[in-house]
Amino acid sequence: MRQPILQAKNLVKRFSVGRSSSYVNAVNGVDLTIHRGEILGMVGESGSGKSTIGRTLLRLTDPTEGLIEFDGRDITSLSAKELRPLRKDMQMVFQDPWSALNPRMKIGDLIAEPLRIHLKLSEPDLRDRTELLAKKVRLSTEFLNRTPSALSGGQLQRVCIARAIATNPKLIILDEPTSSLDLSVRAGILELLMELREETQAGFLFISHDLGTIKLISDTIAVLYLGRIVELVPKEALFNEPAHPYSQSLLSAHLPADLDAPIQRLILEGEIPSPIDLPSGCSFHTRCPAAVDVCKTATPEPELIAQNHHVSCLRLKDGGNILSRQQA
Amino acid sequence: MPPSVTHQFTWPRRTANRVRGLSRLSPTAAAGVVIIVCFGVLALFSEWFMTHDPVSSYPDRILQGPSFEHWFGTDGNGMDIFSRVIYGAKFGFGIAIPAVIIAVLIGIPVGLIAGYRGGALDEILMRIFDGLRVFPSIILALAVVAATGQSLLNVVLVLGFLDSPVFARLVRAEVLALRSSNFVESAIAAGNPTWRILFFHLLPNTIQGAMAQTAVRAAWAVRISATLAFLGIGIQAPTPEWGAMIRQGAEFMVTGQWWVAIFPGIALIFLVFGLNLLGDGIQDILDPRRRASK
Amino acid sequence: MNLLKITDLQTHFVFHDIDNYRREARALNKVNLNLNRGEILGIVGETGAGKSLTAQSICGLLRPPAKVVGGSVLFLGKELLSLAEEDLNDIRGAEIGMVVQNPKSSLDPLTRIGDQLVRIHQTHTASAVSVARSKAIAMMHAVGIPDPEKRFSAWPHELSGGMAQRVLIAMALMNEPKLLIADEPTTGLDVTVQAQILELLKDLVRRFEMGTIIITHDLGIVAHYCDKVAVMFAGEIVEYGTVTDIFRRPGHPYTKQLLASTPEKLKLNEAGSLGGQPPDLFNLPEGCLSQDRCSLASDQCRTPPPVITLETGQTVRCHFALQ
Repeated sequence: MRQPILQAKNLVKRFSVGRSSSYVNAVNGVDLTIHRGEILGMVGESGSGKSTIGRTLLRLTDPTEGLIEFDGRDITSLSAKELRPLRKDMQMVFQDPWSALNPRMKIGDLIAEPLRIHLKLSEPDLRDRTELLAKKVRLSTEFLNRTPSALSGGQLQRVCIARAIATNPKLIILDEPTSSLDLSVRAGILELLMELREETQAGFLFISHDLGTIKLISDTIAVLYLGRIVELVPKEALFNEPAHPYSQSLLSAHLPADLDAPIQRLILEGEIPSPIDLPSGCSFHTRCPAAVDVCKTATPEPELIAQNHHVSCLRLKDGGNILSRQQA
Repeated sequence: MPPSVTHQFTWPRRTANRVRGLSRLSPTAAAGVVIIVCFGVLALFSEWFMTHDPVSSYPDRILQGPSFEHWFGTDGNGMDIFSRVIYGAKFGFGIAIPAVIIAVLIGIPVGLIAGYRGGALDEILMRIFDGLRVFPSIILALAVVAATGQSLLNVVLVLGFLDSPVFARLVRAEVLALRSSNFVESAIAAGNPTWRILFFHLLPNTIQGAMAQTAVRAAWAVRISATLAFLGIGIQAPTPEWGAMIRQGAEFMVTGQWWVAIFPGIALIFLVFGLNLLGDGIQDILDPRRRASK
Repeated sequence: MNLLKITDLQTHFVFHDIDNYRREARALNKVNLNLNRGEILGIVGETGAGKSLTAQSICGLLRPPAKVVGGSVLFLGKELLSLAEEDLNDIRGAEIGMVVQNPKSSLDPLTRIGDQLVRIHQTHTASAVSVARSKAIAMMHAVGIPDPEKRFSAWPHELSGGMAQRVLIAMALMNEPKLLIADEPTTGLDVTVQAQILELLKDLVRRFEMGTIIITHDLGIVAHYCDKVAVMFAGEIVEYGTVTDIFRRPGHPYTKQLLASTPEKLKLNEAGSLGGQPPDLFNLPEGCLSQDRCSLASDQCRTPPPVITLETGQTVRCHFALQ
């Protein structure tokens, strides 16, 4: 049984909108656990709150409600000052490598920055460590003296990863790290991440909207819709027997680059509701083909339906959660 | 845009190419640089250009018009105007540059902190600076210099202080824009304390607008100091400062000895003009490049 | 006659850099494409391959320093590259419709969407406003915008990404174009919305019998929605043929690698090293542009590779195509 490194209980995050009294309900009650040596994949579309969850877990923004425990310690209400020393153990890789790096800093300095802040190393030691990190992420050391504008997206993302692993953190959160990269470059980044998982035994949270990537990299997958986890499941089970109607339609909407893959299109009606105006009851009921009256009023809770497989759907009991598909 | 190709040219040729390239980008900047460099040379090497000693008077040649001996004529004390105009360039730069440096040293940290921290500190600082800017600077400068004493140092300090709000505002605006950007968040996530964020991350990225303004503010400093001298504050005759020279020459305009005021006046106009051109040109260069890059 | 016939299209970037040195980049190199009515052609490639540039070159939408330096673009027999701006304007928006990326920033923020649709109709047809209005509402209905009467007076910022993209499609189709160019029409949209938009496009293409070019980097879209595909790399078309042929029997090493790096086919830790820097268009190697990253590369590759037509009809730009 792997040791948990991060636990969130009933996490809620609301943003106020301008001067009006309405709120963006970004995260609406999320429970999750990330274990050491595990990659938890989080998949969702816009409005799902996946990016907000990542940032809230690292306390880059404060949760409205709920509890966050990192390595056994409650970090929910720690001040910025108290959090700073903890940051060497919990790191983040952001989505857009071009905007996540100071355009006027040299690559070597960017990678060495966490080392400079958290460890008292001499300059030669710093240089050695930086070179080692560059080699580890397969970045040529000739780039250490250049600025970000000289590197490609894939290389910049490697820099971000090097920066994130510099202090050997126990938890790494990656927010869409490969979404802005070309296909051919993604493979390299994903391989690097799997290597790191083996070597460092850190816990990883991999956030993405792309099912294909999530399938490749994750051990466990959390499917998010409008700020709630609708299904939490080991990878194989999601792709073989998705239980939640939303998971099923997400899977069917994914377009594999394979002529032989059967497409059973489950085209959902309508658009994703705005997080400002959450639907009542089960927030998926406005688009769910299996929705019945009770779904408009009652909020489903996660139920364990198989080993490590949790689903939040009111139609689990009568089997209505499995949708029939039309052949394409 | 791809990186430039450095060919196997010698460095003078490369510099010439680079100059031509830059002047293509902004003819105004190029023109401004030319003017300022000329004045700079005059200021630094005035000994080579002056025909006479700027502060010795020739009592037998008072108020003589331009001639072969005295190219710009002589003034009411019999001093050679040409040499005094050349020497005056020293004051032009000697006041403008320190004044701008002081303005930058005060304005930029204030802008950084106010922009990043926000809240009450920001409000208070900005109100103070707003107040400073609303006041007509001449009056304020007059008052302060008159009160603290008429020395060159005082003039420089006052000008520097009065000019700092411009830089503070510029930097603050950029900081406000960048404060919630990804790389700052990334820096926070890495555990950077606030001073590192301000100094290493925000400062290098917010300074361009302010730097572009330095030339324009230098022009302002030159103008104001000349005005102050003209009004009789700060530098006084017989110091060969253009404003003071114009002051003296103003009296003689009526009686027809135009050369005493006009030549220093033209020098003043040109220096200010050159600085303004450079300032405009820098903004030209910075803007389209910024648009073109990723 | 083909709807669209592009022959040897050549587009270069020309400018003077900061050292006052003239630089020229070969952004598009001898691009050849054919399209008929009712066909969907996918142009696929990575960033910088020249896909959007091709679309812009066709429609005369290039901005300096890019310009077309050679080739021919025949649209229903008319040479587009030699048309004057006014004549091009008559064709753009009417016979050729274009749907661009980033729907939210492509709409005029100061005009209601219904009026934008009417405007594009009035620019090309001298009909009464009421006629244009009912056409606009019919078009909004056709692209699946709910409540078109009410939404007619909506502002662009009130729309979601998916809705905005539908409006852009409606705008492109207002004047019943014969050719539709869609540049990354679903990038940035949610997967479930993407599915809706693609189904919609397929349906409209069939209904109006338009020739369609879909520019994308997503091979999944190509596999399921396109009839033909052109694979681009560094400004060249390296392979061109029907989707079935190319997916089942790719001829070019780059195509093979691209297909192998999709999530469906990718086996991590077995991936051959593809990728690396995108090629620098100002410093292209002599001969085949993929030689730095191709496992089959040999001395022969320093000469420009020929475009070989395989028996299936697909064309491959490689020395080793027949192997």
